[in-house]
Amino acid sequence: MIGAVDSAALLELVWAAPIAAITVVTAWGLVVYGTARAGEARRDGRTVRAALHVAMAGLGGAIFVSAIVLGLIVTTAKG
Amino acid sequence: MDSDIILVIVVATALAFDFTNGFHDTANAVATSISTRALAPKTAVTLSAILNFVGAFISIKVAATVAGGIVDAELITTTVIFAGLIGAITWNLVTWYFGLPSSSSHALIGGVVGAAFAASGTEAIFGDGLLEKVIVPALVAPVVAFLTAGACILITYRMVGRLRPGSVNRGYRLGQIASASLLSLSHGTNDAQKTMGIITLALIAHGTLDGPSPDPPFWVIVSAATAIALGTYSGGWRIIRTMGSKIYKMDPAQGFAAQGGGAAVLLTASHLGFPLSTTHSITGAVLGAGAAKSLSAVRWGLAGNIAVAWVLTLPAAAAVGAVTYGVSRIFGEGALGPLLISVSLIMLIAAMFGNRLRHGPPVAPRADAA
Repeated sequence: MIGAVDSAALLELVWAAPIAAITVVTAWGLVVYGTARAGEARRDGRTVRAALHVAMAGLGGAIFVSAIVLGLIVTTAKG
Repeated sequence: MDSDIILVIVVATALAFDFTNGFHDTANAVATSISTRALAPKTAVTLSAILNFVGAFISIKVAATVAGGIVDAELITTTVIFAGLIGAITWNLVTWYFGLPSSSSHALIGGVVGAAFAASGTEAIFGDGLLEKVIVPALVAPVVAFLTAGACILITYRMVGRLRPGSVNRGYRLGQIASASLLSLSHGTNDAQKTMGIITLALIAHGTLDGPSPDPPFWVIVSAATAIALGTYSGGWRIIRTMGSKIYKMDPAQGFAAQGGGAAVLLTASHLGFPLSTTHSITGAVLGAGAAKSLSAVRWGLAGNIAVAWVLTLPAAAAVGAVTYGVSRIFGEGALGPLLISVSLIMLIAAMFGNRLRHGPPVAPRADAA
């Protein structure tokens, strides 16, 4: 009966799902971290540092939005 | 005439199941957002209801009928479908009453399996399908989501742990709105389809629709979308309270790790063709995000009660489905049995909702949330 289970998909799920989740959470973490640090740098008058943190937040945001779009594609692809 | 009445009863029961599915599963999408004050309770359920409604129109893949590959389709009659729906609705109401998140899909499968067993015996049930589509996913979903969310929250704390809590909490509340929205849309797409599939099956059995797998009529899509959205809007506050604040005191980063991590697990699984229960995944993720921060903060007794409810879902819904089928057949093959059972269930639901209105105020955002 155990042959009924798609073990290849199951194994792929076990490593792919955590990678996907960690990517999403890390990307949003970059947004939060970059935004907070950029605010602090601006208050200290360090504009270059602020710009670098804004860029970091932007990169994280782009990855996060891409992940959301990918999620939408997966959801709609079922139709 | 009798077949027309049975068809109307099955359609109404399917929509009633869709409604319970909506309010039972609202917690999956919005509980953590409400608990961490990312969204106000009413805003959260309104947003979730709208996205559930929209999601229902995204897919009409009715071929993926409930219990397909688990029960012999040749042996499914409208009375079996009716009895299966009653089993699922009953289990959804019982678990809602006790505030326990459980899978509506597994309840529906259990109900249909029990009714089919009562109608045709063991030959109606495919053991392999049951193992592949219910038992293995029920074991895999919470474990993978638990470990994933645990890893996610540890990474999150590592990244933002030294920042000022104010900006961090604002950031993660914002992220939760996106993850809650995606979960709601995905829920509408997946779960409204089940009701569409059931009504379409009943229409085929009745002879209203022709062909092996016709598309559902537009009124079926609209009514299924409306029922799940109304159910979501009504809010299963008891389960929302359990998921959002009773298991442990959640901060916005944990809420995001649970919801974002859980959503990523669900969608990855869906992409791989290994669909998991939303309830099992999100509950596992909520527990994982809590346990990774502090094992002692999690109320493991409550987690144990939830696990017991998951184990009981299939047999309990199956038992109700089988009994319902048996009782229905006492009154013959006509509409009298389903009619009497439907009236009894409506009276039971009215009593439960009356009790909720008297004793169950909607969940309020915690005043002490950071």
